[in-house]
Amino acid sequence: MAVKLNKLPKVTEYYCDEDQFSPGNACCPGCIMELNLRLVSKIMGKDAILLGTPGCSAPTIHGQNDRAWHKHSYYACVMTGVASSATGIARYYKKAGIDATIVCHTGDGCAQDIGIQTISGAAERNENVIYICYDNEGYMNTGVQRSSATPYGAATSTTPVGSKSIGKTTNSKNMPMIMAMHDIPYVATATLSHLEDYAKKLTKAKEMVKQGFVYLHVFCPCTVGWKVRPDSSIAVCRAAVQSNYFPLWEVENGEYRITQPVAKPKPINEMLKLIGKFNHLKDEEISVLQQQSDKRFSILKALCGISA
Amino acid sequence: MGLKTENKYLFKYEACWSDGNNALLCLNTGDWRTSRPVINDELCNSCGICMTFCPPQCITKKDNSFVINLGFCKGCGICAKECPRKAINMTPEGDYTDDCKI
Amino acid sequence: MTARSKNIKVITGNTAAAYAVLLCRPDVVSAYPITPQSELVEQLAKFHADGLLDCEYVAVEGENSAQNVACAAVMAGGRAFTATSSYGLVYMYDTLLQTSGYRAPLVMVNVNREPPGIHAVYSGQQDMICTRDSGWIQVVVENCQEILDTIIMSYRLAEDYDIQLPVMVNYDGYYLSFLAESVDIPEQKDVDRFLAPLKDQPPRMKLVAGAGTGCGSHGIGMGFVEYRKKHMAAMERSKELWDKIDADFKKAFRRGYGGQIESYKCDDADIVLIASGSAVGTARAVIDAKREQGIKVGLVKLRFFRPFPVEKLSMVLKGKKAIGVLDRSICFGWNCGPVFQEICALSRHIGIMPMLSFIDGLANMDITKEHIAGMIDEIYKASQNKPYQELTWLP
Repeated sequence: MAVKLNKLPKVTEYYCDEDQFSPGNACCPGCIMELNLRLVSKIMGKDAILLGTPGCSAPTIHGQNDRAWHKHSYYACVMTGVASSATGIARYYKKAGIDATIVCHTGDGCAQDIGIQTISGAAERNENVIYICYDNEGYMNTGVQRSSATPYGAATSTTPVGSKSIGKTTNSKNMPMIMAMHDIPYVATATLSHLEDYAKKLTKAKEMVKQGFVYLHVFCPCTVGWKVRPDSSIAVCRAAVQSNYFPLWEVENGEYRITQPVAKPKPINEMLKLIGKFNHLKDEEISVLQQQSDKRFSILKALCGISA
Repeated sequence: MGLKTENKYLFKYEACWSDGNNALLCLNTGDWRTSRPVINDELCNSCGICMTFCPPQCITKKDNSFVINLGFCKGCGICAKECPRKAINMTPEGDYTDDCKI
Repeated sequence: MTARSKNIKVITGNTAAAYAVLLCRPDVVSAYPITPQSELVEQLAKFHADGLLDCEYVAVEGENSAQNVACAAVMAGGRAFTATSSYGLVYMYDTLLQTSGYRAPLVMVNVNREPPGIHAVYSGQQDMICTRDSGWIQVVVENCQEILDTIIMSYRLAEDYDIQLPVMVNYDGYYLSFLAESVDIPEQKDVDRFLAPLKDQPPRMKLVAGAGTGCGSHGIGMGFVEYRKKHMAAMERSKELWDKIDADFKKAFRRGYGGQIESYKCDDADIVLIASGSAVGTARAVIDAKREQGIKVGLVKLRFFRPFPVEKLSMVLKGKKAIGVLDRSICFGWNCGPVFQEICALSRHIGIMPMLSFIDGLANMDITKEHIAGMIDEIYKASQNKPYQELTWLP
């Protein structure tokens, strides 16, 4: 009989309130965006106002007629208007002297594509809003279409693999870095395999939002869209961190640091082999992905070096 | 058929507001799964990692062990995969005949 | 008690609008500049910089954001204002529909300018026509004083507990936005008193942290249908309330505009010309001149465009021998002017009589007294059973 531990994992120390979401929602089995939402709910607290927009999280954040899937107050936005709606609420509350945590929760499709103008504008104006982007590298809810977060070589329904195509032929946008270049108080990357690291960043976000715009970019594999086994979502996150494809870093008022340094990074193939959407890639295409990932990491390292 | 007069409106709001104090919407997601996690109490050391990684958060601590709410477990298998002591086994639903109690 | 203002300034339409917004004490102003509205947002920025306008001024990066900021601020419980024109109006269209669908009591200025399609930085009412079915209450005004007064009245209408609909105040770009006229600026205390009844109402639904308030829930099945019906019903209620608010304004400030429409010399008129916006001022002079020549012509100034003042217009137009409609825009697909098309739809209330469509004033082409005189002549011909032209493009 195993000796029973008396302690719970460290992430539980960061919980502020109970999970406000209904126990049974429509997220796919193994969907870690569901884990993300519940974690955000627990750490941001029951009084946090959520802003959602069409995407995977919308069916869970938005209600139906007069009933909802959770107890938070929320505001449903059109896709072009998330950060700007959050601005409106934040500014009115500022004028009225009302204290509230405003959290936008959208996918990469909204943050990086259709809504990038408003997020950039809100960041430049340094609005007191937390923006969490769950990056599942595509427009998953509407049928796995490509977005600007889809990486090179990925198969999606609008970049399918065929005799004339290897999938997406352009690199993805480095959104967390784009947001860091807005000189906002706090930008961080996080993922669901490193829960304590993420919980620390969510807690810090609540503090830093008092200074201005906060952006969190969360790596969030989609089991259906990426053809990942439902039980392997967390493993994919871990492999992404350990191969430096998705390094965990933060920049706080211009100081860059890698929060989970990886001593011996694994080759990117360790992650790719868990993901079906890359199955068709040949070795030379995989090495393109490896080079792109390495290049991106070296820029991050250089910025951390400048900050050190 | 249909709404003909003001006082036959179904909802009290003028616009699309929902009330989080009403009963929350809830699906019987326990009906989705094809296999269920079973915790081997001999191997489990109550580290709680399964609880933190469970996407629907249906694992809770009870006394010194962990209990899975089969009413909402979708059978994804993340708990079994992430358990450091391999103490959780995904067992086919076909092996069971009991009803899930929420 | 009637207010006696001591404050008369010679200001442009844009500045008059800025003064109106200042007097209404918004919590949040969000705007993006666009010709011919820029001066309005610049004046508001100046008021804000000088500490006169105590609000959160959000200089957004595009009109789409301007509408989102204003709509969200209103749903959070505040009073907001935004302004735009043509290209900006259509750029914010997705959220424009959201603002009315959410029943957000927002007041917005739209300075009429030709929208995209044919590039033009010129006046025209086509932008207002593009948003006919957006679910907003739309008002059109004739002069700078009316701009100021109507914005104040619009807050009374929008925020009324039984209405809760956004109001768009339209005025002609260039002809009013940049025209300087003498404007009587009310005292702050008198405007406060005029808007005070809004404070005595039951509190409206708003976003409150920790209270489970969910704004923008999906409309499923009968829920969707019900919210549409409630929206339509509110629009219908706004007609009568607007007339009442106009009457209250007249009592308080000694200036009234007739509510949904103003009918000028229509009681004994045989023929009627319908117009909206700055052209009405020109038309009035021509009506008087034609009356002196013995033609019994009347003028209807359309102030409410949405909801369409069906009842009031029907009362005035019933039994007339011929009706002409001056449109500063076109109705694609019907080969006529848009307001003309809507007046034709009144036939089931007013009977069948000759109706004439005049399209004039597109892209800053002046609507002159000669044009209007010609229109009245054509309407008169129609009323005398002589052959007439149903659609006339001017100049």
